Amino acid sequence: MEFVATQIAGFWGSFIGLASDPITYVYLIASVFLGIVFGALPGLTATLAVTILTGFFGNKFPLEHSLIALIGAYVGAIYGGSYPSILLNIPGTAASAATAMDGYPLTKQGRGGEALGITTTASFLGTLFGTLCLLIFVWVLLAVSKNIASPEKALLALFGILLSGTLMSQDLVIKGWIAGLIGLAMAMVGLDPILSESRYTFGWSYLLSGFQVVPVLMGAFAIPQIMDGLRATVMVAQVPQLGRIVPKFREVLRRMPAITRSGAIGTGVGALPGVGEDVAGWVSYGVGKASSKESKLFGKGSIDGLISAEAANNAAIGGALIPLLVLGIPGSPPAAALLGALKINNVIPGPTIDPALILHVVAILVLASLTMFIMGLFTARIFITILRIPQTVFLPVVMVLTTIGSFSVGGGINDLFLMIAVGLVAYTMNVMQYPIAPLVIGVILGGLFDETFRRSLLISDGDMSVFVSRPGAAILLALNVLLILSQIPAVKNGFRRLTGKKEPVA
Amino acid sequence: MADTLVMRRRDFWTALVLIVVSVFFLYQTSLIPFFDASAAGVQGAWYNSAGLVPFGIFSALLLLAIVLLFIAIRSTGMSGLASPRALGFTTTESERLICISAILASFIFCLVPRVDFIAASALLITALIWGFHSGDRIAMRISAISVTIAGLYALIAHFPRSEWTKAHDDDVVTLLSFACLTGIMFIRTARLDKIDRVVKLTPVIAIITPLLLVIAMAFGFRQNVPNRQGLLFSQIEYHYYVSLKPLWSGR
Repeated sequence: MEFVATQIAGFWGSFIGLASDPITYVYLIASVFLGIVFGALPGLTATLAVTILTGFFGNKFPLEHSLIALIGAYVGAIYGGSYPSILLNIPGTAASAATAMDGYPLTKQGRGGEALGITTTASFLGTLFGTLCLLIFVWVLLAVSKNIASPEKALLALFGILLSGTLMSQDLVIKGWIAGLIGLAMAMVGLDPILSESRYTFGWSYLLSGFQVVPVLMGAFAIPQIMDGLRATVMVAQVPQLGRIVPKFREVLRRMPAITRSGAIGTGVGALPGVGEDVAGWVSYGVGKASSKESKLFGKGSIDGLISAEAANNAAIGGALIPLLVLGIPGSPPAAALLGALKINNVIPGPTIDPALILHVVAILVLASLTMFIMGLFTARIFITILRIPQTVFLPVVMVLTTIGSFSVGGGINDLFLMIAVGLVAYTMNVMQYPIAPLVIGVILGGLFDETFRRSLLISDGDMSVFVSRPGAAILLALNVLLILSQIPAVKNGFRRLTGKKEPVA
Repeated sequence: MADTLVMRRRDFWTALVLIVVSVFFLYQTSLIPFFDASAAGVQGAWYNSAGLVPFGIFSALLLLAIVLLFIAIRSTGMSGLASPRALGFTTTESERLICISAILASFIFCLVPRVDFIAASALLITALIWGFHSGDRIAMRISAISVTIAGLYALIAHFPRSEWTKAHDDDVVTLLSFACLTGIMFIRTARLDKIDRVVKLTPVIAIITPLLLVIAMAFGFRQNVPNRQGLLFSQIEYHYYVSLKPLWSGR
């Protein structure tokens, strides 16, 4: 009880500090607006919004202010993706793909305004739910993480990459793993973290410091979007009539069980290393379909279906920040961009993180979700107008933004060369259906994996049993092995035979 | 099923590329001391080697690439592997990608290091909007050619790093290229069809966006911007510090 009271008091102090500073609102309103625009425009993503802002804010602004802008854009973009999903049946972001399943049928029934209103409310409550979980679990996990040593860290980083590769792959799972390995390989470039031995620099001094996070993120997420999106576009002729957007209070109260369930699922999935909001939306939609009273309406215009997707993808934000703040392992691709911002400000997430920073993040999340809620309900028509901008107009502008953002962080032209090279590789990988998220997670966690894996062996004098002798490490090793085995067809078939289940028809 | 077959054919080639890449980097890794790793006078062991983790990564990559190759061969039966059509590539899509790649490569590798950022970005934005908005292949080709010409001029005339920020002839060529492209855009659109809102707005977006962005970054966000000695930005910076700033600082 004392713990809860301390948490609430700490959060309240941080919240009041932020809310009483006028500059907070300048950053918050601008960033949430920008985030919603990025989310609403198909072809732009939440990750891109956070990455571009990381480039702009870099390390020249106080971290407290940068975080307001980055988290505001993150919250806004995840929510903003619902606009084109509901009104045009085009998901603005991958996270809102499940939203289109019921959002667009509702629009066709002339209930677009109602769908937007309930989506805004569900997103707001979902974000608050995720934030509450962040406030509670981050401290529990921080207490646990004090017992996490190098072997556990190495295996957890590996698990994050493997899990991301497994869940984010749309084609063969092996492609997700390959993407993760390419990311890990990229992280090996430069001076190694223990002996300072130079690796794969080919005599180019720029590579001694390794691949910089921001140019890699910009290259991986912006360049493929630009290359893929620049094709003949048909302008959106007319956005359908909406009607009343502000939802009825009684209706929101009636939907609270669905919002709470989806918030819990979203937070849980978001907390898995490297997975993210899109998986959270689909998992919650699937669970909602199985458990909702109106499951027969799912896919035909169910409000419960809409809530399942939207409350979950926004709740995943709080979830994704839990492993980020506790272990330095991002829970989603936008969280990876946030980690980049923390890194360039010399903040090392983990057991030694400043507790005030965590409370600051929680307070920003609450304020950002409030801003999103108010903007979503009362200025929705502005965002609907923005939907009419064709992507062939805004993508070239994004290219210029990306270039100047990437240049500004490092201040060197080499960062731009790196960005375009990574971008071309990422585009090729997109065409070949390799997921990009595991690559980015690999780049970010590669250094941590290399250092902690070798340190574990160094401590144990090369004895591999260090990875099984500690209970935490043994569990994580088992999870890694099980994850790999679960994807091998022979093992899958053997398991099916054991459980007496029939092989699914292809 | 057809899409899966096309994907497996592509996987065959990507698996081969991945095998070559992983073998190359395994060789590179073998150059890192392994069994006698030492640094700063401290004798190490195999488990301390900087090559240990990369060796594992590239071995795993090689193994997965071989598995992918095996899956691709089993699924395709080695048929249609050399046919671009069977691999799902069309002439139109290939041309689109070549044009975009040429524009982006010219912008990043040739123009941004050497040419004024506002001029280079104006040319880029015009080329990308007009070249790809309507789906007109001629517009796409003209856009790619105009950016490539400006890029090649800058690259050839001022190749060494020491010359990147000196003369402004490449800035002028880029501005001319931007003006010509804008002119061609209006003439061709007027001939083919009525000039629509996107075409009318393109020059405005092309000039205003980089101008505002560079001013905001340099003087608002206090961030570094590319090519500060460029033809236009050097004038802006000069007048900001010499003409404008004294006005509001009361000097």
